[in-house]
Amino acid sequence: MTDTLTRPPSRLGRLGRLREKRTTPFDAVTVAIALILIAIVIVPLGRVVVGMFWVDGQFTTGPIARTLAVPDLPQLILNTLIVVAGSSILAVVIGVLLAWLNERTTARMGVIGDALPLLPFLLPPVAGAVGWTMLLSPRAGLLNAWFRDFIGIFGIEMETGPFNINSWYGLVMVFAFYAVPFVYMNAAASLRSFDTSLEEASRLSGASPLRTLVKVTLPAIAPGIGAGLLLSIWFGFGMFSIPSIIGTPAGIDVLSVRIVQLLTFTYPPETDVAVGLSAFIVLFVGLAYALQVRILRKGRYATLTGKGARSNPTNLGVWKWPLRGLMLLYVAGSTLLPMFALVIVSLNGYWTPKIGWDSLSLRALQAAVIDDRITREALANSLGLGVVGGLIGIIAAALVALYVARKRTGFAQALDLGIKMPAAVSNMVIAVGILLLLAGPPFGLGGTLAILLIGYIALYLPQASIAADAAVSSVGKELPEASAVSGASPLRTFVKVYLPLMVPGLVAGWALLFIRMVGDLTASAILAGTGNPVVGFRILEVFNGGSYALLAALSTVLVLITATVLVVVMVYARRKSRFGITAKIG
Amino acid sequence: MPLSTAATNAPATRANAATTPEPAVRVTALRKRFRREDGSEVLAINDVSFDVDPGEFIVLLGPSGCGKTTLLRTIAGLETPDEGTIEIAGRALYDSSRGIAAPPERRGISMIFQSYALWPHMTVFKNVAYPLASRKGVRLSKDEVAQRVRTALTQVGIPELEGQYPGQMSGGQQQRVALARALVSNDEVILFDEPLSNVDAKVREQLRLELVSMQRRLGFSALFVTHDQTEAMELATRIAVVDSGRIAQFGTPQEIYSRPATRYVARFIGAINESEGVVAQADASGLVIDTPHGRIASTDTSAGLEVGDAAVALWRPERGVLSASEPTTVNRWEMTVDATLFVGSHTEYLVRHGEMTARLWSPRFDDVAAGESAWVSVRPDDVRVLPASDPEGGPLVTGSVATRATR
Repeated sequence: MTDTLTRPPSRLGRLGRLREKRTTPFDAVTVAIALILIAIVIVPLGRVVVGMFWVDGQFTTGPIARTLAVPDLPQLILNTLIVVAGSSILAVVIGVLLAWLNERTTARMGVIGDALPLLPFLLPPVAGAVGWTMLLSPRAGLLNAWFRDFIGIFGIEMETGPFNINSWYGLVMVFAFYAVPFVYMNAAASLRSFDTSLEEASRLSGASPLRTLVKVTLPAIAPGIGAGLLLSIWFGFGMFSIPSIIGTPAGIDVLSVRIVQLLTFTYPPETDVAVGLSAFIVLFVGLAYALQVRILRKGRYATLTGKGARSNPTNLGVWKWPLRGLMLLYVAGSTLLPMFALVIVSLNGYWTPKIGWDSLSLRALQAAVIDDRITREALANSLGLGVVGGLIGIIAAALVALYVARKRTGFAQALDLGIKMPAAVSNMVIAVGILLLLAGPPFGLGGTLAILLIGYIALYLPQASIAADAAVSSVGKELPEASAVSGASPLRTFVKVYLPLMVPGLVAGWALLFIRMVGDLTASAILAGTGNPVVGFRILEVFNGGSYALLAALSTVLVLITATVLVVVMVYARRKSRFGITAKIG
Repeated sequence: MPLSTAATNAPATRANAATTPEPAVRVTALRKRFRREDGSEVLAINDVSFDVDPGEFIVLLGPSGCGKTTLLRTIAGLETPDEGTIEIAGRALYDSSRGIAAPPERRGISMIFQSYALWPHMTVFKNVAYPLASRKGVRLSKDEVAQRVRTALTQVGIPELEGQYPGQMSGGQQQRVALARALVSNDEVILFDEPLSNVDAKVREQLRLELVSMQRRLGFSALFVTHDQTEAMELATRIAVVDSGRIAQFGTPQEIYSRPATRYVARFIGAINESEGVVAQADASGLVIDTPHGRIASTDTSAGLEVGDAAVALWRPERGVLSASEPTTVNRWEMTVDATLFVGSHTEYLVRHGEMTARLWSPRFDDVAAGESAWVSVRPDDVRVLPASDPEGGPLVTGSVATRATR
């Protein structure tokens, strides 16, 4: 007893721990999770790079040589560049025009702003590509057939056409539909924060509305457009589902499709060449990024301050209604039309322009989805992976976001950067890396759901992180500080203040991840197989088998799932916003 | 300024009557460095020391970026300083030499934030009850909690709002809820971080008056950050004027206004006329400064200047007298009136004599018209004399605890 005499712990001693030096178990777990998340991206990427020079334990330039020896390599690169550049330019034109009309002119309609950014969520690209095929296939495309019927009235007979989705313009068009939201959202945000007195000053100086647009407005929102353009380029290089469904039948091969073919539809898989081709994607996306940084640095783009005073929008006069009509037509055409085609073909049971309106039934859907064992399995897998992967992704991202917001140290910022890094690298490359690293020994995860889960989380980590950041920043700094000053411990502050305020944002973030994962084709095409089928993989398989009604049915189911989740989450978010809590999707 | 005159006396008596000799807040030799993006270091808090007596209302006044909010946040425990000590009611909460840094939840103080920081997912009742449920060592029954919350809400005049959510209320009401949340735990010290800057002028004035009377009645010590000098004058028993991380002057509003310790303080509080020159004569009864515009006599010898020192003569516009005939005052100039600005309560005259310009406030508005010439005079008693350049060294404290005791 006496030999263990210790000094009584003074009250000061208890207070004496410096706050910075305190590392709680909570923080330790967070850091561990962040490091794991970063590792599942970095290590596979490293594997891709190593794979270029290191085969079977020996240094070699063989993969590079073999990649460069691909006979149609110049054609492949040229095709990819044409599709990406063409669709990105088209997307910038359409996106900026829509943003300007909707933010700055009398033709504005809130519905555009609400609907456009949701397009990729409502209609995942794979479903969109299938829908457009149903509409514009030269022989059986619904629009084509109806158009032929229509001109037949005037005695003009055509066997096929007039449009062909499996063509350069078809491919570029569908790419552009999915790239427009990127440009639109960035351009619209810039326009909203843009001080309209600059425009007014230009008009008073004697410039016409058009000159004002070109000389004042567009240069001011150039950084926003640039960001949208970069996203659209990044999206284009990594996009696999659209070119494989629309481009391949037209004989237009692009890099992403070839990579998947080399990995999964070639026996034995030509992994080294796939890796070599992936390097081109990294190169091009990196170039686009460097270019954007250069342009932004060169131009003296004034930082736009806060919210500009609302002024009268540009009056378009008689053009208002036609332009509104065009905007609505665009939204309807890019989204509703392909959805309609999917639903009609799947209800009809087979793909024909002669729709038997009175014989539409759910029978084909049932046969395609419920009676088919593999499809059933694929659906169950996808839903399960979406729910679990989304949960893991958003919770891990939320922990990291909280940590970064609370600590603000260099280390925390490095974690944040690491977790957002996959956004700078093409999805395709990460998926290839994960396949190379985890499919074979020693991990042997090939053909399992685990490898898909890891792949999905790695791929969609940036989205999770951005959604979680938004949720944390919507809580702000002062609310948790007020809780601490009120005497609440960090844990109590987390449970009582952070959590309830973050939940709506996290639910929205989860929905976003769920939709991305269920509709994913990139990782699915590379990582899934008959042993671990998912919806994306099944769609690809059915497409290659040529069963179009089944394809439409599957796509319809996919659209139904994503639309349901989206609507439920939006209703939930709207209800929560009563308390001033906001949640955003996209 | 009847409000602050009345205010100064009350806490002084309370402080004398208090049995504990401990100040409510004691800050000594506090420093905090910030690293800029370019790597250079800035002292956001530069060797700051001051005491807050129990029941005092201290206003930290300064322009934005002067470090006043950082100082408040270090006291709350929301930021950690680099050196110095912070004590509240005799309890060391921060002491760099002993490695003490209590987290905010163990400091037992309340704070009102600029944005009010009301939790949007909790009702007014839950917001106000939160500190009672959170504080360590406080276990209250449900009834007691309800009782305390209702008392606090009644004190701030919104007993009927307890079931509402903050999002449904006006800025003024939210402000009252924040105040109730700060009052409910009966802490000795309440910190205010520019809480009135987000409500409109009318409500602000109303809340200011209520805040003063509530603080005098309940007797808590307040530390209030603002950049609004009118607000500071009305609320404070003592003002600390903060300049680039230092306390430039610490004193009652009257001291700060009539006897500014530095040119910075003189310029920051109210309007001032300045004439630079060199001390020509100095003795116990006063001094005379040679300026390019003639000699200025003053009875203010507090700066301890000697003959030959660079000095500046300072006087407030309302202390100047405008007259048509030559006055007998020592300090007088015949000047041209450049412009007259009628403000209502007084008229401002902008006068000029060669290079010298000055502002004058007169309660009458028909004295002189613009363009005419008139005599301007100021009594030596109304002229403050300071060194021409503000000292770079340590803080200038007037009206410190010692000075106050003898006052």
